[in-house]
Amino acid sequence: MDSTPTRTQVIAEHKRSGGRIAAVFPVHYSRALFRAFNILPVEVWGGGRTGNAGDAHLQAYTCSVVRGVLSAHLTGMLRDAELYCVPHTCDSLQGLGSLFLDLVDPGRPVIPIYLPRDEGPAAVAFMASELRAIYDRLAELTGSRPSDADLQRAIDRECEADSVLAAMLELQGRLALPARAFYAAARSREYLPAEQFAAAGRRLLETTVRREEPAGVPILLSGIVPEPEEILDQLDAAGASIVADDMACCGRRNYAMSTNSDPFGRMAEQILGGPPDSTRGVAVERRLAHLLSLASARRVRAAVFYEVKFCEPEAFYLPQLRRGLEEAGIKTLALEVDISERPSHQIATRIEALLETLA
Amino acid sequence: MSTVVAIGADAGSTTTKLVGISHDGVIVWETIEPTEPRMREQLERLLATIPGSGGSAGPTVPVVATGYGRNLVDTKHRRVTEITCHATGVYRSIRSSGTLIDIGGQDSKVIVIDAAGGVVNFAMNDKCAAGTGRFLEVVAARMRESVQDFAALALSSPEEVAISNTCTVFAESEMVSLLAQGHAIESISRGLHRALARRVASLARSAGAVAPLMMSGGGAHNVALRALLENELGAAIRLPAKPQLMGAYGAALLALRRAAA
Repeated sequence: MDSTPTRTQVIAEHKRSGGRIAAVFPVHYSRALFRAFNILPVEVWGGGRTGNAGDAHLQAYTCSVVRGVLSAHLTGMLRDAELYCVPHTCDSLQGLGSLFLDLVDPGRPVIPIYLPRDEGPAAVAFMASELRAIYDRLAELTGSRPSDADLQRAIDRECEADSVLAAMLELQGRLALPARAFYAAARSREYLPAEQFAAAGRRLLETTVRREEPAGVPILLSGIVPEPEEILDQLDAAGASIVADDMACCGRRNYAMSTNSDPFGRMAEQILGGPPDSTRGVAVERRLAHLLSLASARRVRAAVFYEVKFCEPEAFYLPQLRRGLEEAGIKTLALEVDISERPSHQIATRIEALLETLA
Repeated sequence: MSTVVAIGADAGSTTTKLVGISHDGVIVWETIEPTEPRMREQLERLLATIPGSGGSAGPTVPVVATGYGRNLVDTKHRRVTEITCHATGVYRSIRSSGTLIDIGGQDSKVIVIDAAGGVVNFAMNDKCAAGTGRFLEVVAARMRESVQDFAALALSSPEEVAISNTCTVFAESEMVSLLAQGHAIESISRGLHRALARRVASLARSAGAVAPLMMSGGGAHNVALRALLENELGAAIRLPAKPQLMGAYGAALLALRRAAA
């Protein structure tokens, strides 16, 4: 996906064509809902050079994703967005949503998304009603009311892109690509319109050499977001091949397909039918079963939990997930990072040592 | 002196150690000096001093580099982490499985070693200096004592002041407050060693430590830390003959093993 346009280019192009931009924060929401209103959701995961302007408003134990998002807002990096969308993923993001009430000018709506902390029909019904409420907010904002058929078409486009992402994740480790290049391609889903992502992803799948077996020791990468990206280079250099992904920004959004005739029910079923995720409060037993199944299918020998420091949803699950994987003979390594900083020398040493124990 | 047939270079954050070993894996040459800011040049200079190993042209025998500066050696040499190297060196020296605690200048590591000398599990401190040799260096220097004398003071004290911080910066500040309150240096020293021992013991428990306990790295020379670690973990600690050289020794053994393969 060498020719993939940058975020800046995509935003400029979308605005030129008369569309609006929504800055969306982690993790789960419906891209289709925004696209039906000609609003392009561009996700902000807080990484990169967002600076530390957000620190003044947050407790020291707030994670670097939230600090990065707030810094991006305070330094004007999100100025192209006409609205913000804040999924209530964790306490910190919920807190950020409240802070935005004070820090975002009134002309720029801040739309929260409340996610059910459960599964089953009641959770789907709640999610669907939540999406309906957001539909009403967007209708009020844009003055348009897409029909059910419009919504279904938008969902179809996203499903097509999701199926391409799923194919990429299925082949992860067997595509002859450096890990950084793979994630750059997979994560372009965070800002590319679905149709562009699907086309670029298909091109990547068609043109990339495939290996019979992964080049290195097969590992599973879990966590929120693979940043700073040096971690991916370090894994490559140490002789690891990421063959299974459980990152919140990628593998945990390998959403289910749904044929529900009600577009809101369909969107809800897709989000809630995705892989079990700590940020949706899914039971740890289901998380573990999912990771074990992924590890078994891809013959994973080690799982690396690359966690954002102070990420509570992840931290609560980690001990049981590690224990369960270790009992199944899969070595685990937990690394904690501040995504705004370069990874420490100790992190490189731990990765190399893990690979040495598997040599 | 027997001929050096393999070399291990441990470029640590505080000291750089080189070891040359004979065919039967015995240390026949060794050197240790404080790590210089120009680590690459230092490593090249030290490698050139090894007797009969190639002089300024560099060693003609296999070399394995480890430690912080391992990536600064010539790319023709192999690099292995200090976790694997310390485990290899200590296993060969003590000839036992168990749990190795390596307290270096900037890292503390707990390494669980299996019956074949392999690394089963490991835990390592985060990037802050708490729980490392640097912690004691800073607090000892603040007391105008050497690390060894500061440890002796700790062991001479029947009393112990509770230190709540293992953060080097906050512990130093807490220590100054305790001195101002009139506490004896000896009891403060014991409290500081206790705080460090508790932190390392917690790391050991998180790695699933099993007996026997062993120790390597510069921290192994600290008698107070050793005694309080034994107290915290409820088991005796066994020491190799040259604990501080175990990383370099393990690296040399791996170089020898690779040459034989």
